[in-house]
Formats: sequence, structure tokens, C-alpha cells
Amino acid sequence: MSALGILSISPSACIQDQGRVGFLRYGVTSSGAMDMFALAEGQALLGNTPDAAAIEFAEFGGRFKATGPLAVATSGGVMALKLNDIPVGWRQVLALRVGDILDVGASIEGVYGYLHVAGGFQTERMLGARATHLRAGFGHVLAAGQMLQVGAPDRSVAINGLPRPDYFDRRHLRILWGPQSQYFDAAEREKFTMARFTISKMRDRMGIQINPDCGPIHAAAGLSIASDSINAGDIQVTGDGTPAILLADRGPSGGYPRIGTLVTADFGALAQIPTGESFTIEVIERAEAVVLLEKYRNKNKVLSASLRPMLRDPRDIGDLLAYNLISGVTTGASDDES
Amino acid sequence: MGILVEFGAVYDPAINNAVLAFDASLGADLPAGVIETVPSFRSLLVRFDPLELAFQALEKHLQTLLSTRDWYTAPPPENRRHWVLPVVYGGKFGPDLAEVADLMGLNEDQVITSHAEHALTVAMLGFSPGLAYLGQMPKIWDFPRRTTINPRVPAGAILVAVRQTVLPATDIPTGWRQIGQTPFLSFDARAARPFLLSPGDEIRFEPVSQAAFAAFDQDNLLRESLQGTGA
Repeated sequence: MSALGILSISPSACIQDQGRVGFLRYGVTSSGAMDMFALAEGQALLGNTPDAAAIEFAEFGGRFKATGPLAVATSGGVMALKLNDIPVGWRQVLALRVGDILDVGASIEGVYGYLHVAGGFQTERMLGARATHLRAGFGHVLAAGQMLQVGAPDRSVAINGLPRPDYFDRRHLRILWGPQSQYFDAAEREKFTMARFTISKMRDRMGIQINPDCGPIHAAAGLSIASDSINAGDIQVTGDGTPAILLADRGPSGGYPRIGTLVTADFGALAQIPTGESFTIEVIERAEAVVLLEKYRNKNKVLSASLRPMLRDPRDIGDLLAYNLISGVTTGASDDES
Repeated sequence: MGILVEFGAVYDPAINNAVLAFDASLGADLPAGVIETVPSFRSLLVRFDPLELAFQALEKHLQTLLSTRDWYTAPPPENRRHWVLPVVYGGKFGPDLAEVADLMGLNEDQVITSHAEHALTVAMLGFSPGLAYLGQMPKIWDFPRRTTINPRVPAGAILVAVRQTVLPATDIPTGWRQIGQTPFLSFDARAARPFLLSPGDEIRFEPVSQAAFAAFDQDNLLRESLQGTGA
């Protein structure tokens, strides 16, 4: 079995997959990739099964060494990538040979980037998934010196790439009102709907605190409700009036009122908005959310049809620096002085 | 997508009983497309795939089931398990016992007797994997949580406040007050049956000595507690 050795890695990197489903009644939330579409991109590029696990990076990557021939691919938020010190493109397959060094640098676009291998990383499966959730005791911290075992690929892998998806530009997210929306009066709900929200530094895999430009949002005074279950995407408003969107590694239950829920189709778009940038929201009807979900799933399904062969293996290109391999990255000289 | 069936806003045994009884009844014939049901103190979250099961169809199914009876007076789920769990109270196993006795105006032995006297119901699991919220205890147990957080209590700690007992299945930080500890561990991710406690289960605590704690045989308890339940 081949393996990928970790030479160095960002402390926020972790193994993620589709997550654990069905254990919420036992107090276990799903975990799983913050950007599930990016996870699906990796599976499509490498022909992996949907349950294959990848490394998720948040803004910073790591340095890796192949101990055998490995087909790897990257997806999600674009990060600076080098193979044996030579820049290579994102969102494509790379064939690694024994001893090859892969450097995943800092984020260039988006927040969460993914490194996949054909066959998937074979870390321990717990409750049916390999998704890391440290606070709940699932998975482990990735660190220099570790060897990540890789499963046998199902088939040979072509050197394909995928086009940049459009959701990185999305700054308008769709939400549904929920069972606790009525705990906020009409004026507060209106204020919430019209606000522009800035992604705060208080963000991680549990959730993202979003700061509205309208000031604090307040639930009805004297509200005291017993805890119940929290769904991914629920927008919780704590006592100080700051909303937070609860995500993959959220707590399973809570008693703060939830004003609404982000639709599943926009989870990836939210996760990839850089800290300090802002977005608006739109409250949609349930039927529309179902349509969005269907479209989102169809986009996942047709990913393999979007694969396009890379014209040349980066390894065969003599003067790589002459090629603009990473979309949006230039020599640094600006043509636009306006 | 989810539908939340709310039986009340607060934690009350009758409300929680309705949640648990309704969940058991729904689970006996779960419509295709339901991903999971999640009982809490006061509501049941029904998570479903809206592309497999239409919202209106599920809503109708839930409404129909709701109308079949008064769920607040429904008998507890038939398949719930009854546990008798050994507990060492006080000392290093229950560092807050003296403080709790002060809060209750009782001596430590009276606190232990009161705690072990009544069977409690697993009202819900939450916060961390397998952590059970048990209730409801008599009014004399209605004192607040600490204002400070204890950074770590062990799995099996017997934690009390606000007329509830909390039984964590992993080491956790907590503001609840620890009066004892059970050697029973209800969660093992690597076990064939990872979670031993379910919402609706009934638990009675039995004061034991430190020697009995050390000699506790979980497999033996499971043989006794799970027999005849088809588990």
C-alpha cells in the first residue's frame, strides 16, 4: 500500500469525508467536509467512491512526500501548489512518483482547500466515517512525521482537471425561516433580512459568527426555551444579538433561539467566503429550497462529465514558469491602474 | 430538510414523555426518505430528504400520527431499557457533594439517598457523544449550575443542577456539579453497539463502595440489562 508522508502541516488541517449521518439522537453531529462540492470534485477527478476521505486545509496547507506512486488531486479553495518546487495548477490530477514532494501553500482564493488521493486516505473509520471531530473524540490531529495510508485505487487515473466552479463569487445566500423565527418580531426579522453580514474572525468548523451592519438582532424579551436539536445551517442568535451559522462540527443541541436556516446548497459558498468579506441574504420559500437542493445534487452528479484532460502533464513541461497555471495569479505587475 | 414537532417550550416530564412516545411510535413504521429522528426535552426533529419524501407527505403523516392519541399521557416506549448503575458518591468521585448538600440544606447521606431513590428518564442525549440528560428530580434539586466552568470531568461523572442529572459518556468541560461517578461507560465508538443509552431509557443509581467500583464488570451488567430487549 502506498502512503503519503507528512513533512509539515497546518494545525487546522484534518481528514474529512461525507461525515456521520444518523447519530444526532446520540449527540453526534455530522462533521464532514465544510465544502461538500469540493469533496465531490476530488472524487470525480480521481474516480474515488463518494465515501473516500481527503485532507481539508483551512487557509494554510502542508508539505508531503509520496512513498510510492500516487495519483492525487486538489479541489475547493485555490491554494499555492508546488510539485518538487515547481508551481502546478489547482483542481487537477497529479501523478506522484516515489519521493516526490508536494507543497500546499497559503490560500489564494476561498478558505477551504482539499487534497485527495486515488483510493482515499485510510485513517480509522469511527461510526461509519473518517471525518475528524476532535472535540467529540473522532479522528486525530495531523502532524509532521505521520504516514497517511492510502487505499488501492479502483482504476487507473487520467490526468484530468475541472473548471473553476462559480460559487466562490457568491455573496448572496439563501435561507429559510424556521420553527423559532417567530421568537423574533416582524421588525427584527425585517432588519435581519435587509442586513449585510460580515464574516467575523470567530469562525471554525463549528460555525461562523456573522456581524450584521444593522446592529444586534434581538429575540422577544424573557424568552426561555429548553434545548433542542440543532440542524446544520441553523442561524443561532446569542444573548448579545450576534448571529452565528452553525455548521459541520456544531454542538448537537442548544437553547439559543434560531432565526432561520441556511439552505444546504449554499453551505460551500458560505464556507469559502474569506474572513472580513460580507454577504447579503434572501429568505426563500421551502419549494424553492427543494429545487436548489436538486440542482446542487445534479451538479455533483455531472462532475465526471465536466472532466477535461490537461493538455500536458506539468512534469513534461520544460519551462513551467512561462505558463499561467493558476487562474487569477499573475506576475504581480498590474495592468489595471485605474 | 427537517420538520420539528414541538410538544412544549420547556422541560417538563409530560412534554418529554410525549416526545419520546411519539418518536417510538413514528420509528415503528418510519416513512421512506426519513434520515433520522432526534428527540429532545421538548420536541422531535424529523430530518428527511425532500427529494425522496415530499414535505407535505411527511407533514400529513406526522399530523395523522399526532391525532391518534393524547401523547402527553401515552405510556413510555415499550422497548426502553431499565438500568441500575453503580455510583460512588463523594470524595474524589464526587468533589462537589458537600457544596450540593449545603445548597439543598441536607447532609451528604441524605443527598445520596435522595439521588438514588427515584428512577430517572433519559430525556435526551446531547452536548457531546452519548451524554445523557436525566430527569426530572424533586424540587429540592432545583439549584443552579456553577458560575465557573470545570475544564474536565471524567466520563461517567454524575453531574447535577436544575432538577436534572447529566451523565457524560466522554470527558467534558462542565458547569454542572459533580456528586459522584459511575464506572459504566455508555459510549465506545469502536464497539459493535457504540451507544448503550437511548432517549427514553430509565436509570436508577445504586450507591456502591470504591471496591465495587473497581470490580465493576460492564459486560456482566450488559448481559443482565440487555437480555430480552432484542438488543
